[in-house]
Amino acid sequence: MAEEFNTESMLDMFLYESGQLLEKLEGIILEKQDADCFDDSDINEIFRVMHTIKGSSGVLMYENITKVTHKLEDVFYYLRESHPDDVPHMELVEKVLAVSDFVTGELDKLKNGDTPDGDEHQLVQDLDEFLGRLKGEIKKQGIQMPQANKHEEPKQFYITPVAGDDSHFYRISIHYRSDTQMSNIRAYSATYALKEVAEDLLYTPDDILSNEASGDVILAEGFHMLLQTKSSKEEVIALIDSSEAEEINFDELTKGEYGKALAEFGREDAITIDLGEEQKPEEKDKKKDKPQPGDYVVKTKEAGKGKTLAKNQPKQQSIISVNVEKMDALMDLIGELVIAEAVVLQNPDLKVPGLELSNFQKASGQLSKITTELQEVIMSMRMMPLTNVFQKMKRIVFDVSRKLDKDIELEVIGENTEVDKNIIEHITDPLMHLVRNSVDHGIEENAEDRTTLGKPAKGKITLEAKNEGGKVYISVKDDGKGLNKEKLYQKAMDKGLIDNKLISEFTDKEIFRFITLPGFSTKEEVTEYSGRGVGMDVVVKNIQSIGGRLDIESVEFEGSEMTLIIPLTLAIINGIVVQVGNSPFVIETASIKEFVRVGEDSLIHEPSGEEYIVLRGECYPFIRLNERYDLADSISNVEEGIVVVLEHEGSQVCVLIDKLLQEQEIVVKPIPPYVKKVKGLSGCTQLGDGSIALILDIAGLLIQDGERR
Amino acid sequence: MAEEVKNEEMEELLEEEDSQKGKFMTFQTGKEFFGISISYVNEIIAMQPIAAIPEVDDYIKGLINLRGKIIPVIDVRVRFKMEPSEYTDRTCIIVIDVNSTMIGLIVEKIAEVDTIADDSIVPPPSLGRKEHEHNKYVYGLARTGDAVKLLLDPEKLIRQDEIEAVMEDIRKED
Repeated sequence: MAEEFNTESMLDMFLYESGQLLEKLEGIILEKQDADCFDDSDINEIFRVMHTIKGSSGVLMYENITKVTHKLEDVFYYLRESHPDDVPHMELVEKVLAVSDFVTGELDKLKNGDTPDGDEHQLVQDLDEFLGRLKGEIKKQGIQMPQANKHEEPKQFYITPVAGDDSHFYRISIHYRSDTQMSNIRAYSATYALKEVAEDLLYTPDDILSNEASGDVILAEGFHMLLQTKSSKEEVIALIDSSEAEEINFDELTKGEYGKALAEFGREDAITIDLGEEQKPEEKDKKKDKPQPGDYVVKTKEAGKGKTLAKNQPKQQSIISVNVEKMDALMDLIGELVIAEAVVLQNPDLKVPGLELSNFQKASGQLSKITTELQEVIMSMRMMPLTNVFQKMKRIVFDVSRKLDKDIELEVIGENTEVDKNIIEHITDPLMHLVRNSVDHGIEENAEDRTTLGKPAKGKITLEAKNEGGKVYISVKDDGKGLNKEKLYQKAMDKGLIDNKLISEFTDKEIFRFITLPGFSTKEEVTEYSGRGVGMDVVVKNIQSIGGRLDIESVEFEGSEMTLIIPLTLAIINGIVVQVGNSPFVIETASIKEFVRVGEDSLIHEPSGEEYIVLRGECYPFIRLNERYDLADSISNVEEGIVVVLEHEGSQVCVLIDKLLQEQEIVVKPIPPYVKKVKGLSGCTQLGDGSIALILDIAGLLIQDGERR
Repeated sequence: MAEEVKNEEMEELLEEEDSQKGKFMTFQTGKEFFGISISYVNEIIAMQPIAAIPEVDDYIKGLINLRGKIIPVIDVRVRFKMEPSEYTDRTCIIVIDVNSTMIGLIVEKIAEVDTIADDSIVPPPSLGRKEHEHNKYVYGLARTGDAVKLLLDPEKLIRQDEIEAVMEDIRKED
């Protein structure tokens, strides 16, 4: 049974591979959604994906997955063999996506450690019916029906390896007890176990996995295998699972006998081969690779087949998947290395006057070069293209636009833009929201509304990513109705979300930003996709949590553009280290507007204790970090300290610090969750000497400041 | 093959657990000796410079950098509502790992690793003062030699409700 060959790693492998295959599948489908039909290579590809998933889910005995994929495989087998003309393409696309969703759902259950118990019957029925209709149409047109897909398990043909001198030959026959369940699967597990040691393996019945009836044949006639191996008899016997087996016959053969036995087995195969070649032209190449005339043609390693095919795809880079934790550990270590390097190179022992250090300098220069390079490499390893995220968006546009009956085309630009893996995880949901909003709210309900405005009837959404100046810009742009400022203003007023001010007192951007206020939803009715009023504020919050922001542009009747501006990487920021009292703090360089020294006279004291600073006629709130955080031994006279003007999303605040220490690239680390979250601090970092500095979070400072007032 | 390896690993793990059973890291704070099951203890390090964090409870002394890992440290004395003592050469930080949360405990003096049999552990006497501060973290008393050691429950020590509060925050943010 499946459990016997280390299911855990097989399961991992299965989940990983199937996940990859499904992604690929969705990619193909969505690319061709607007085409009239799939071309041959697509059909082959989808067929192969289904086939592989079916095979491996069969081995792991996830029956519902096997059944569903098998059905879809049937459909594509039919398409591939008979090239019917009138395929309802849209319906086919939907069917494939339905299957892909089903399997994805089941895989998710598996990932969570649940049993995949989704009900496949409806889906299988639908597919059956669909296939029936396809075939029906063909019949009507009088085209010859191709043979039904009886050999669902496409075979892979290998030439018998030349036997070495130390090879042994065995004929193994297993007779299972008559009440054995799923004897075909048991037989398969036996072949699977033997494959490890087999130089060559042939068995009959040969369609054990794909043909459930083969189980009966095995029960009646036994399961026969021919094995060529270097292993001894004992080793082979140990590999075969003998539970449920009534009798195992084990004959050692000579090379000559083996050849004869092969011929008996192989005769049948010789026929299948011809069939096979006609049916599966893509496997011809494989066969040609090993032309050894005269040898018997035998098939082995069925389970490995899907893998080989998938990995032989052209243009695929050779990639290994690594656990993210290991990557993070490596990253940490390299951070440590950099710090250790600083400790060595700036060691006070070197400062002894009169030391001859020229060789040391040379060596240390080399060391620094390597560590810098190492840092760059690890950073680049964490970078991933946005392709997958964008693919999900394609799917969303496809689904939602069809549900809402809107005709929308999606243009994707710059999907190869690379960003840090952490960021990808954080932007997927917000981006999904924006895309949904564009489809749902952005694009007009009726095509007439568009044509009267002189726009093409088909709505257009552009998803664009670009990398500029250390930031990534991801924008979702639609050519829909755009935002109506009066409406937004009215709505925000009605809901009491804004202060009582005239509309003219707000800038356009400020008005657009109303939609990001919690509890604001312009759509009168709540739809399935958006309009619950919890969307945009969550989007903004998520984006802010990774140090990004949302920019909204809109022209009424022409469309809107929502741009996410996010840092390229979360892990390393450019910061300025400052000191307050005895504690070092880090401020992100990008949020610093200026450093000033001010006199006591530019301070305004409010009776409530609040302070403001007047700089060039502008009045800014003033925070004394030492008082805010109760830091001892710090400068409290403004004239002695330094005032830093910080900016975040258009609002400014002045902060008093003692002195500036240095500017450096810092590795951001989270404050351990055990310590409750302190407002105004976003994380911590290690400085060159190994000590810890806290990172100021400007947004948090501003919020806290607002709350106090 | 893979399974064999796994089994070996399991056995090793079990053995390790076995050898740790009944062993306690004991330390002295004030006049009392405390013990903490050695299975929680990751390592013991010398006192290090601590980066203070503003706006937290007074017993959380701040953060230390343990080979690139940032971990919070708490002062056991302050946690037990005792007068804080001066940190000396003998002051140590015991790094413990409780449910994957790493925390450093500042203790005055490390004593030794003691083997304490299960049957020599008695529950702390209750005088009807259930809210008594110590009893929250002390789950048993053990007599070894002539000293009585108070055995600490680290999970209570780092206070479950605090962890829960943090978890809730995290959940809310999600």
